[in-house]
Amino acid sequence: MRPVRPVADASALPSVTYGSRSLMWWGTLGFIVIEGWTTALLVASYLYLRQNYDSWPPLRTPNPSLLIPTINLVLMALSIIPAELSSRAGKRLDKRGVQVWLLVFSIICVAILVLRWWELWAIGVRWDTNAYGSAAWTIVGFHASLLLLDVMDTIGLTLFFWFRRLPIKTFSDVSDNSFYWYFTIGVWLPVYLIVYVGPHVF
Amino acid sequence: MSVPLPVDQTLDSASVVRVAAELEATWRDRPGFWGWVTSVDHKSIGKRYIITAFLMFLAGGIEAAIMRTQLAVPENTLLGPDKYNQLFTTHGTTMMFLFAVPMMTAMGIYFVPLMIGARNVAFPRLNAFGYWTYFVGVVFLYISLFVNTAPDVGWFAYVPLSGPAFSPGHRVDVWAQLVTFTEISALCVAVNIIVTVFKCRTPGMSLNRLPIFVWAQLVVAFMVVFAMPAVAAGSTLMLATDRAVNMHWFNPAEGGDALLWQHIFWFFGHPEVYIIFLPAIGMVTPIIETFCRRPVIGYTALVMANVATAFFAFGLWVHHMFATPIPELGQSLFTAASMVIAVPTGVQIFCWIATIWAGRARFAVPMFFVLGFIFTFVNGGITGVMLASVAFDKQVHDTFFVVAHLHYVLIGGGLMPLFAGFYYWFPKVTGRMLNERLGKWHFWLFLVGVQMTFFPMHELGLNGMPRRVYTYLAPTGWGTLNFIATIGAYTIGLGVLVFIVNAVLSARTGEVAGENPWDASGLEWATPSPAPPYNFVFPIIVNSVHPLWETNVEHTVVTGLRTDRREILVTTATDALSESRHVAPDPSIWPLYLAGCMALLFIGSIFSPYFVLVAIGFSVIGLLGWALQSTKKIEPELVQLPTGATAEGA
Repeated sequence: MRPVRPVADASALPSVTYGSRSLMWWGTLGFIVIEGWTTALLVASYLYLRQNYDSWPPLRTPNPSLLIPTINLVLMALSIIPAELSSRAGKRLDKRGVQVWLLVFSIICVAILVLRWWELWAIGVRWDTNAYGSAAWTIVGFHASLLLLDVMDTIGLTLFFWFRRLPIKTFSDVSDNSFYWYFTIGVWLPVYLIVYVGPHVF
Repeated sequence: MSVPLPVDQTLDSASVVRVAAELEATWRDRPGFWGWVTSVDHKSIGKRYIITAFLMFLAGGIEAAIMRTQLAVPENTLLGPDKYNQLFTTHGTTMMFLFAVPMMTAMGIYFVPLMIGARNVAFPRLNAFGYWTYFVGVVFLYISLFVNTAPDVGWFAYVPLSGPAFSPGHRVDVWAQLVTFTEISALCVAVNIIVTVFKCRTPGMSLNRLPIFVWAQLVVAFMVVFAMPAVAAGSTLMLATDRAVNMHWFNPAEGGDALLWQHIFWFFGHPEVYIIFLPAIGMVTPIIETFCRRPVIGYTALVMANVATAFFAFGLWVHHMFATPIPELGQSLFTAASMVIAVPTGVQIFCWIATIWAGRARFAVPMFFVLGFIFTFVNGGITGVMLASVAFDKQVHDTFFVVAHLHYVLIGGGLMPLFAGFYYWFPKVTGRMLNERLGKWHFWLFLVGVQMTFFPMHELGLNGMPRRVYTYLAPTGWGTLNFIATIGAYTIGLGVLVFIVNAVLSARTGEVAGENPWDASGLEWATPSPAPPYNFVFPIIVNSVHPLWETNVEHTVVTGLRTDRREILVTTATDALSESRHVAPDPSIWPLYLAGCMALLFIGSIFSPYFVLVAIGFSVIGLLGWALQSTKKIEPELVQLPTGATAEGA
């Protein structure tokens, strides 16, 4: 190895960073792209199958119910408030704020997940009735797995913040958790419109 | 924590040795078996990926040799149709999913951090998890082969043949879930490579100073991100659910569509070829530079060609479906796209030829393989342009012509550069050189074997011999060419055997390599061979694409990273300016544990959907363990912070 000459010192650089300066943010973005793209491919496949039918939903298949999905959509929109407030509290290193807003966020998350079960049945047919049912169940079910993942993360963080003494870095994780949640909600809007509203319109 | 080091004066070697010893203590794996299974070092993970993938190459090769023996003479009875079906499916699946893609990404896992001057990948535990998930897939497929349950529907598992009506039993389930394991693994690697390249480069390595190999790995990682979800959706969410819970994605009787599978599969399957090919040609550039003693001609053109190839690769998939009722306009579009992709490939080949021409070429074994690559791959590329024509494609669809084409492309474009890379980087991994004489024997046996095996297949295909038949009748006249192909296959096998002997002997008794045996220019050669657990004592500041060919006699470096914990330097995404310090995780058992949960989830779900719930339950424990481990040693316990404190300053 050649001789070395130090010309810069890194010891004063921060070890806790937020947003695009944090590695975890980039990793989260990577999985957001993967999961968003998977959803897009599933929706494209749903629309591809649509071509095989004259009417949509197919004959003798009821339209999906809009009540539960719409309630859940509103709840998802509301969940952005505690998600954002927990993220902001995290950036302020405000432990009490993070604790409170993560708790509220977790409760809404669980409610959304419970409603998702009824939302699946709101499709109106079973997954094994026809290809329409299969496609709708797969898309909504896949999105449910994304919800489940983030709900587990949110509850885990909430428990940590209430019951453990944590390193400062965890405040940055709160903000990344909210970042992923915005994606989960954002990707749901087109799915809601296509799977639940679409059959009423087309 | 280290004693602060002086800035802007050359360090004495005692200080360097002291810092290296502190880093060694912090970064080394634990000893013994436990240390092996908990390692998160990219070199350990990369090495085991490479070895596992190479074993898969041997397994796939043995399967090919058995098939070639069966086809050597007409009406041979070595294999029956069922065993033959299992063998060609396992051969294709192994080579594509368990050898080629993992091997190419494994080379990235091992070398990208070394080439960009980093201490590890961005997410070391995710990296280990990816490997273990892949390993589960390997074990799963080969157990299934030995218990007569290996998939038998071809590596692209077309429906309706692979659907529940025509393939009862679990053979196709094995295929569908095996694909899931390799997708997860590939996606973990892709995210890791992208974040590592964008955020962990050594200071000064702006994107326009990125080694071409790293560019290729980056482009491929993006391709994986967009290609793998297609096959994930197709195999896991559609085919497996059609089979397990009676969904109807591909059942025309209930409004499903068999062609949807072909679209979904080839939307992944065609980019897959470039996912294999681009990293391989990324290996070619540094080898040509080193052995021609000059920087490559057309750095920007090569990078642009890589990116262009990646884009075009996603617009070609329908050329695999010309025999289906595709509208004429669609056929023309995909014919044009299939021809256009030859342009960026041509640009790269001209850049390499110009570099060889302008430099002073030294023909060591890596260069032999590079020339073998150019020759073989160009031949495969030309038949690819032929196949882009719909009329011609329909004539030779599902014949041995296609088998010849794809092997020319994949062996020429993938394997030849890979072997070049093995000879070139073997000293960095083992500290010893491979034997040149045995290397040349390997090269000539391999090159001649490949031409003997696959060139006659063009003729067989034009004569109408279909692929995937377990035998043929003597009056077809196909016997002679098949016999030549079989002798060629044995020749390839002999060549590979010579390589294995060479690798085993050289790893023990080969010439000691030293830090930079080829006098190459990349950062991976600025550290001992093999590299220590921390890769570099200090992050080296670079000022060009070829840092080791600069005339300065010393490395300018960054100090100040802590040595008592695994601290890495994070830099800005484009200009690679120092930005922050990040604490990388210690060795962990949770990646292996969570890969076990994945095995339970996907293998269990073949038999009962309830395994999904059980696996989620076990995963919760793993995720908690993972999260709690990551909070250790990162910062002191949270203390009462002063009002108005900002996290950035923490």
